[in-house]
Amino acid sequence: MLAIEAAGLRKVYGGKAAVEHLSLEVAGGEVFGFLGPNGAGKTTTVKMLLGLAYPTSGIARILGRPLGDLETKAKIGFLPELFRFHDWMTGQEFLRFHGRLYGMDPADLERRIPEVLELVGLLGREKERIRGYSKGMQQRIGLAQAILNRPKLVFLDEPTSALDPIGRREVREIIRHLKEGGTTVFLNSHLLSEVELTCDRVAIVNKGQVVRSGTLDELLSARLEVEIRLDALGSELLHELSTIGRLVRTVGPTVYLEVPAEESLPKIAEAVVRSGARLYALRPERVSLEDLFVQLVEGGAG
Amino acid sequence: MSKILLMARLTWQEAWSRRLVLAIVLLTVGFLGFYLLGVHFLDERLKARAAELGRSDDLEGFLIARATVVTLGMYIVNFLGNLLAVLVSLSTVSGEIDSGTLQSILPKPIRRYQVVLGKWLGFAGLVALFVTLISSGLLVGVQILTGYLPPSPLEAVALMNLNAQLLLAVTILGGTLFSTLTNGVVLFTLYGLSFAGGIVGAIGQLFRVPLLETLHRVSIGILPSDAIWRGASYYLQPAELLNAFSEAGARGNPFVSTAPPDPAVLLWSGVYLLLALLLGVWVFNRRDL
Repeated sequence: MLAIEAAGLRKVYGGKAAVEHLSLEVAGGEVFGFLGPNGAGKTTTVKMLLGLAYPTSGIARILGRPLGDLETKAKIGFLPELFRFHDWMTGQEFLRFHGRLYGMDPADLERRIPEVLELVGLLGREKERIRGYSKGMQQRIGLAQAILNRPKLVFLDEPTSALDPIGRREVREIIRHLKEGGTTVFLNSHLLSEVELTCDRVAIVNKGQVVRSGTLDELLSARLEVEIRLDALGSELLHELSTIGRLVRTVGPTVYLEVPAEESLPKIAEAVVRSGARLYALRPERVSLEDLFVQLVEGGAG
Repeated sequence: MSKILLMARLTWQEAWSRRLVLAIVLLTVGFLGFYLLGVHFLDERLKARAAELGRSDDLEGFLIARATVVTLGMYIVNFLGNLLAVLVSLSTVSGEIDSGTLQSILPKPIRRYQVVLGKWLGFAGLVALFVTLISSGLLVGVQILTGYLPPSPLEAVALMNLNAQLLLAVTILGGTLFSTLTNGVVLFTLYGLSFAGGIVGAIGQLFRVPLLETLHRVSIGILPSDAIWRGASYYLQPAELLNAFSEAGARGNPFVSTAPPDPAVLLWSGVYLLLALLLGVWVFNRRDL
């Protein structure tokens, strides 16, 4: 079953479309990265999926049910981007309140609270008021309420924005942990390195539309940039290399070549050896998600 | 229903945790202490005067003085109750949309109407507690000090509660429509208009100007809070006081009325309260957050 399916979602605010014919499919159990520049419509899309904002048109289903279904809502979790909670509560009161909102059984809730506190690294701090928490701790308690109900699907909107590198690594661990438990994770982020490390599949949105989606391999393995370091570079060799791939640039006797696939690498080595030049390095590098992102966003569409 | 109670409890917990309950209790005690001290000094003076004249202190003039003091005290209590109802709930929906706390609540299995009604229920309890405590505190305090109790205290307290509850419902509606600041401005303007409408109506009656009386009726249509207070004030005044405000004199009185409350006004107030709540739920249901 698909965890999320959306077709032709559209949201207009005051005559201006924030989301325009957005279609999306997220399979159950995967970690899905939703990427895009600020103002691309990521948060609006999440709000529509969660019932916080109503689509102008289009349809969407969550866990196979239409939006707003109460039974489905008990199975999802959400960490908002602007995590502001009732900060007069202690961490424990906060989790109790949200557990009751989920409709959790009281005994189960009391068992579950220390579990999630441990998971987000706040065990021992639950008697303190949230007002006194640091920004990072507030994000952690927010994450705790999002996974309290053992959700089947969890939406994390910029979950590491207030965390230091160690905190980020911990959140990656939590996401991995959720995935192992079969939870679908919808990760809204513009930290591309984070997405590269955690996501199975990504969609890149720009101007309210999905401009590219697929697994990371599909998106990134299409192109390979190779650094070829030589002792000297003759024009004949340069010509030959440019028939193997697209010449990106040369820096002295070093050539940067974009090739379609890894199969091109031995060909490069052969060509270099044939020409009599000496090969010091042949280093293939996948085009990073960041490169692809910048290209898609600045280039307009996909 | 349990989700409504959960939200109501959240409202109470917040009021408790933010020391709102404590502030209310202290202010109630402070106000009552201040007012009752005044009543006490006044009564001492009345009794001393009666003793000087060698008469008992159950003169009609004394009764009128005591009844006036109670009625005006209740006028202030009514105002404080209305003020509290507006202030505690002013940012209920709007403030929580701004701060984002609703974003972690609404995706959970709770209906939006349950959020609004739960918050309303929580505040309604708080407001009822305050109005009942402070008004009965004043009535009982005066009775202990002077022996005077208005003729129909229960009716008066009930109407004052209705008044505060009406304003609470309207404030919650306002919170779904406007920002917190705008809501406050709108509420106080409506309240002022209702008060002005009462005065205009009294003057219209005094000088027999039908147009002013029509304006008065329009103001009741817009917000009947002044008319509800006037109804309550009738129950607080003994026959002697009602008579003392001569027909003509009482009609221009901006504070009290000598006529019992109009059932149509009471009915309209109840309908108004319900409509405000339902409209608040409806508006909030359709809002994008």
